[in-house]
Amino acid sequence: MFVLESIKKYAMSDRIALVNREETLSFAELDARSDAFAMYLLESLGEDRTEIVIYGHKETDILPCMYGALKAGRGYVPIDITVPVDRVQQIVDDVQPKVIVDFYGIGLRSDGVILSAETLRDRISCFLGCEVPKENWIKGETPAYILFTSGSTGKPKGVPITAANIENLYSGLLPWMTGEGVILNQISYSFDVSVCSVYVGMAQGMTLYTIDKQMIENLGELFEYLERSGLETWVSTPSFAEICVQSAKFNSGLMPKLKRFLFCGEVLTHKLCDQLAERFPEAKVINTYGPTEATVLVTAVEITEKLRHDELQIPIGYPLDEVTFRIVDGEGRDVSPGEQGELLIISKNVGPGYYKRPDLTEKVFFKDRETGKRGYHTGDSCFEKDGLYYYCGRMDNQIKVNGFRVEVEDIENNLVKVDNIARAAVVPVSDGEKVQYLAAFVLLEKADGLSSLKRSMLIKERAAEFLPSYMIPRRITAVEAFPLNTNGKVDKKELAKLIK
Amino acid sequence: MEEKVLAILNDICGADEGELEMDLELFDEGILDSFGVISLFVEIEKQLGVKFEPTEVERSEISTPAKIIAQVKQRM
Repeated sequence: MFVLESIKKYAMSDRIALVNREETLSFAELDARSDAFAMYLLESLGEDRTEIVIYGHKETDILPCMYGALKAGRGYVPIDITVPVDRVQQIVDDVQPKVIVDFYGIGLRSDGVILSAETLRDRISCFLGCEVPKENWIKGETPAYILFTSGSTGKPKGVPITAANIENLYSGLLPWMTGEGVILNQISYSFDVSVCSVYVGMAQGMTLYTIDKQMIENLGELFEYLERSGLETWVSTPSFAEICVQSAKFNSGLMPKLKRFLFCGEVLTHKLCDQLAERFPEAKVINTYGPTEATVLVTAVEITEKLRHDELQIPIGYPLDEVTFRIVDGEGRDVSPGEQGELLIISKNVGPGYYKRPDLTEKVFFKDRETGKRGYHTGDSCFEKDGLYYYCGRMDNQIKVNGFRVEVEDIENNLVKVDNIARAAVVPVSDGEKVQYLAAFVLLEKADGLSSLKRSMLIKERAAEFLPSYMIPRRITAVEAFPLNTNGKVDKKELAKLIK
Repeated sequence: MEEKVLAILNDICGADEGELEMDLELFDEGILDSFGVISLFVEIEKQLGVKFEPTEVERSEISTPAKIIAQVKQRM
């Protein structure tokens, strides 16, 4: 696989692969440690190719684990610490891994081996110096990673992405982020935008510069790290950049080498583009779009001054080389040029379908008769103008909150697990361009005599056992009854009016 | 000014009027997070004309309603 080849190549130099606070990992160390971990997996698991699970945040040893799994011919399932134990356990039960690396010792139940940060280090030390023959490396249609995303039933849904998918992403994205310098490593590994750094950046010998959760909670510290980063390529969701531009210090003086911003994962607003153009006049802003199911992104476009003033909205871009789009109506017929409809992606980026869910896969994945490639129904409403594509919103209840993909029903189905909540309805609160936060309305089983703040604090605390923090609604309001629409369903438009 | 700050906080935290205790630990209780803080600064600037430089404020300095009010006062 291309990224493993590159790591081997750069291991001959003294280049740095990762900076994580005061720690650094050279390409040579990354190559050696991933080989050692791969050897451990091959020795202890033999022909069993079940994916391994990695639970952690931005620990330095996560990268050797990920590339080690790939060198041992199997995929990995990265799970970030924002995911609560209960949900991690559901994923573990689903995958049945033979090896779990748990950097935080959260007490998972599994028939497989659970390695702590310390035992992982021991295993790596034992095999240091071994080199795994390349014929063991992952290739073709084998999943390289499985990401678990929000599922409407309330259970996380697995999206496997193969080695071939990632190769195709690499060739498509390369023209947009060619370079060697330092690249931002802020997005959690369990979210696919991180693939831009971990695969496309690493394969070109870029240095991944880590920003962790703690730094984001203390912007003073974050900016100290950014200042000494030497960053050339910024990859993030627009939301993270929106936090940063809140400070007047976020400008080319802080990061003089910055060449480009690459955004993915949610709507890019005019406001952010204007702010960045003013603060970083030398840097390009590139917008991209794509669902996890089609390997991170399938479009790109540089937001030039002309596009920045595009009154329609900021476009999501042109399809990457090799990618074909269709926009269809409710009956699956191609719409007339310029009309809105569901976007279908036909590309080698499209993954094999949902993990162990042939029923769901059949609904939205298909084989394109003309090209023989896989296709995917995005559920995104889009239109095309002069070759550029524009995003108009979801056709179902999936939303993006601060860059995270969330199914509204997932939150509702988990809120009712909290004591005394009979029903729950979640409404995204938007400023017109983008979701600002989530509001939940709950119907109590019986009166609790609590003030609204106390109740909301209590519910949030309990909900945190089932939901990642970004899925917990900021505002929770108890109602006497839900307004119903003519179909007898909860009328969310009416509920939204209750928010000032 | 105090009332305005409290009204902004009530709005962000989803609290009723008079419900926020002055020494309530907003981060520990899960009422305020990174995105909430940014909304707080934006609203304070909009409604009171007081600007916060987010890189110069530590969480410990704005962890309760009383501390937030004190920080606003300092900048007026």
